[in-house]
Amino acid sequence: MSILFQYILDAISVGSLYALAALGIGLIFGIMRLINFAHGEFIMVGGYSLLMLSSLWSPFMIIGSCFIVIILAIFAEKFAFKPIRTADPATMLVTSVALSFFIQNLFVMIVGARPKGINIFPRLMKHVSFAEYRIPGLHIVTIAVTCILLIILAFFLKRTNFGIQMRAAAEDFETARYLGVRANLVISVSFALSGLLAAIVAILSVAQTGTLSPRMGVQLVIIAFISTIIGGMGSLSGAVLGGFFVGILIVTLQVVLPEEIRAFWKAFVFGIIILVLLMRPQGLFRIGAKEERV
Amino acid sequence: MSFRNFRSGTLYFFWPAISLSVILILISIIGILCSVTMQRFISDAFIKVIIVVGLYIFIGNSGIISFGHASFMTIAAYMSAWLTMPVAFKKLILPLLWPFFLNLQMNHYIGLIIAAIIASIFAFVVGIPLMRLSGLAASIATFALLSIVYTIYGNWDSKTYGQGTLVGLDIYVNLSLTLLIAIGAIIFAFIYQESRWGVALRASREDEVAAKACGISIVSQRIIAFVLSAFIVSIGGVLRGHFLGTLWINDYYLDLTFLSIAMLVVGGIHSLAGAVLGPLIISSLLELLRLLEVGMTFGSFSFRAPSGLRETGVAFVMLLILIFRPSGIMGGNEISWPFKSRS
Amino acid sequence: MLIVNNIFVNYGPVNALRGVSIEVNCNETIGVVGPNGAGKSTLLKAIMGGVTVKSGIIEFNNKHITGKASESIARMGISLVPEGRCIFNTLSVEENLKLGAVIRKSGREVKEDTYEMLNRFPVLKNRFLSRAGNLSGGEQQQLAIARALMARPKLILLDEPSLGLAPIIVDQVYETLAQLKKQNLTILLVEQNTARIIEKADRAYILRTGTVELEGSREKLLKNTGIEDIYFGFNKNNSTGEL
Repeated sequence: MSILFQYILDAISVGSLYALAALGIGLIFGIMRLINFAHGEFIMVGGYSLLMLSSLWSPFMIIGSCFIVIILAIFAEKFAFKPIRTADPATMLVTSVALSFFIQNLFVMIVGARPKGINIFPRLMKHVSFAEYRIPGLHIVTIAVTCILLIILAFFLKRTNFGIQMRAAAEDFETARYLGVRANLVISVSFALSGLLAAIVAILSVAQTGTLSPRMGVQLVIIAFISTIIGGMGSLSGAVLGGFFVGILIVTLQVVLPEEIRAFWKAFVFGIIILVLLMRPQGLFRIGAKEERV
Repeated sequence: MSFRNFRSGTLYFFWPAISLSVILILISIIGILCSVTMQRFISDAFIKVIIVVGLYIFIGNSGIISFGHASFMTIAAYMSAWLTMPVAFKKLILPLLWPFFLNLQMNHYIGLIIAAIIASIFAFVVGIPLMRLSGLAASIATFALLSIVYTIYGNWDSKTYGQGTLVGLDIYVNLSLTLLIAIGAIIFAFIYQESRWGVALRASREDEVAAKACGISIVSQRIIAFVLSAFIVSIGGVLRGHFLGTLWINDYYLDLTFLSIAMLVVGGIHSLAGAVLGPLIISSLLELLRLLEVGMTFGSFSFRAPSGLRETGVAFVMLLILIFRPSGIMGGNEISWPFKSRS
Repeated sequence: MLIVNNIFVNYGPVNALRGVSIEVNCNETIGVVGPNGAGKSTLLKAIMGGVTVKSGIIEFNNKHITGKASESIARMGISLVPEGRCIFNTLSVEENLKLGAVIRKSGREVKEDTYEMLNRFPVLKNRFLSRAGNLSGGEQQQLAIARALMARPKLILLDEPSLGLAPIIVDQVYETLAQLKKQNLTILLVEQNTARIIEKADRAYILRTGTVELEGSREKLLKNTGIEDIYFGFNKNNSTGEL
């Protein structure tokens, strides 16, 4: 029983992290039809910012690294993505990959390729006693932070005027502009939000793994990206649900697969991706969004 | 038709391919006149040309960015290792390899062809479902393909040495071999792009609906290009392995994928000339940056750039091209006929 | 109010508009008609800044608007009801209307206007909180017009409002337009259905393959037999018709 509970908690915690990461990607894709592979590097930079600011008091460290990543995101939009806004999807995809590689290797030059250890929030790694279970405090924080963020974001998008503008721009960018929605502002805010989400993912991820490396964003962004596909590209709730789904899937595979093929879990996940693309390309969780017609 | 007309007609038609071949030959001559090190550098550059030309056969004609071609190189490279590595080595390093391969040692070139054919068959099989997808979905699927093959080969320790470096491949790749194969790849790609198949695929790239209305089966054409492209790219992958003498799975994953796409984009996705010149330019850039990484001394002043400069440099150049000249250096054009146009 | 002077617009190598000039004066209802592919939608998009104008000038109330961003043009007092309605399907009727008022500053006035829209288009009142995608074609068209009106525009552009609608619904739409005309709103209306335009519009322009073939007031056009020729592709000078 206790193992089942541990597993469920593990799965939800991992799922939360991926949901937040997927949301970061989904936000940008929804508005600009751009898959931002550099999101992994936003996360990585967030991690290194924590290292840089680690001598500060915790809240300042958190706010500081959020701030740094948001600035990075806005800069990336201005210099790399704005010029190609009207390009075809292939060019946009390749550009974001190029940007991702650029930032990654720039950091390899600056901090070296070797992973570094970092210990933030040591108190969270302690286990909390709850009934007869011992739960890593970090799991609880991850799930709680994710829920709070999702609620705030949902409120922002559904209730505020600017949120409505963003949703309109995501559905039909051209018409939104004809109504007077400021394109550049909406895009910048999307990137800023995406940056904020990346920073939070960095904090939670680094608190969990205790290591930093210039390549740490790659694994995360690939999984986040898979989550948006499974959940349905262009749908924010799809991205979130996709993230949970993939998180739970990964944890489950690692528990359920027999010893000999456990190392191949990634192959299973990617196989599922291909199946989804072939059979239900609009994603598993997408509800009622517009299909693109010929 | 007089003999002279026939010659100039064929020359004119094949000019894009001939001009590129001549460029490669000239470069080889320079290499021979320089040094063995230079020849090795040029061989490596020519291998990159083979790989990118192969990639171009698919990407250039179909308009779909494939992230999965490194998987064909993986399959072919390891297959060549299984087929051509000295038996003694295999028994030592991969004792659990299937007996059929374990006791076999083939001629290098036969092994090369067979490995490429097997990878192409694989491409055909996975192409059947995958080529039904379009655009972004197709690109994502090819990425998934890459990851699947990487995961399998990277964890199958008993057959591939897993994450370790497999040593003992015969180094039979030299400048003349790579030159020959590169020219062959160029002619192959050119004949394809000028053929009915190539034209039909390019039509579908421009306008899927109109192409279908003309009776073109887009899925079939894509599969054809995918397989032909896999064949050439696989040859490049095998050559790579037998140039270094070692195989490391991570050499056939994200870095290689990014680099080959970067080389194609910089040269220009839509022309064969771009697929040849892109790798040549980027190879030179990489070598230049490598020298900076290794360190240079000017008199009493020495300078050494941090490692990672090469990849950063290539990514930076790629970003510049994408932002300022997205059609690439060749802009989608072949090398033009230098004489006055035929009347 | 609006002057379009000799504009050229290209879609890649295709010339969509070649030297088109039109003029809309205050309180006028102007029609632009023509067969498919004539460039009518392109003309409206050019005015709204949605496509690049290669050469030529567009002026609104004596201010240059060529090349300005769509958001700015909207703020200057022009509203567009796009072809196919283009309402935001995943948003509610209420949110669609709110979006129409993005450029407005006074929240109170926006609320008043919302009530007014709901009174003018009662069908929207019933569906106020529903997803806009669930509305019927005619209802969506009314929503699109209401949304455009929320901005209190000085000039309203309509791109084929009768497209895809049953004739009886089209009647309702044109009723609405007649009311707007009575309220002295300036209207630029693009349609394929020539007859309706010529009834309602003060003046009309007839476009074919990117140029203005014919223009004039209602009376003048009603007398002109050349219109059918334009639609059926006959040469303008050969109206006795060669097939």
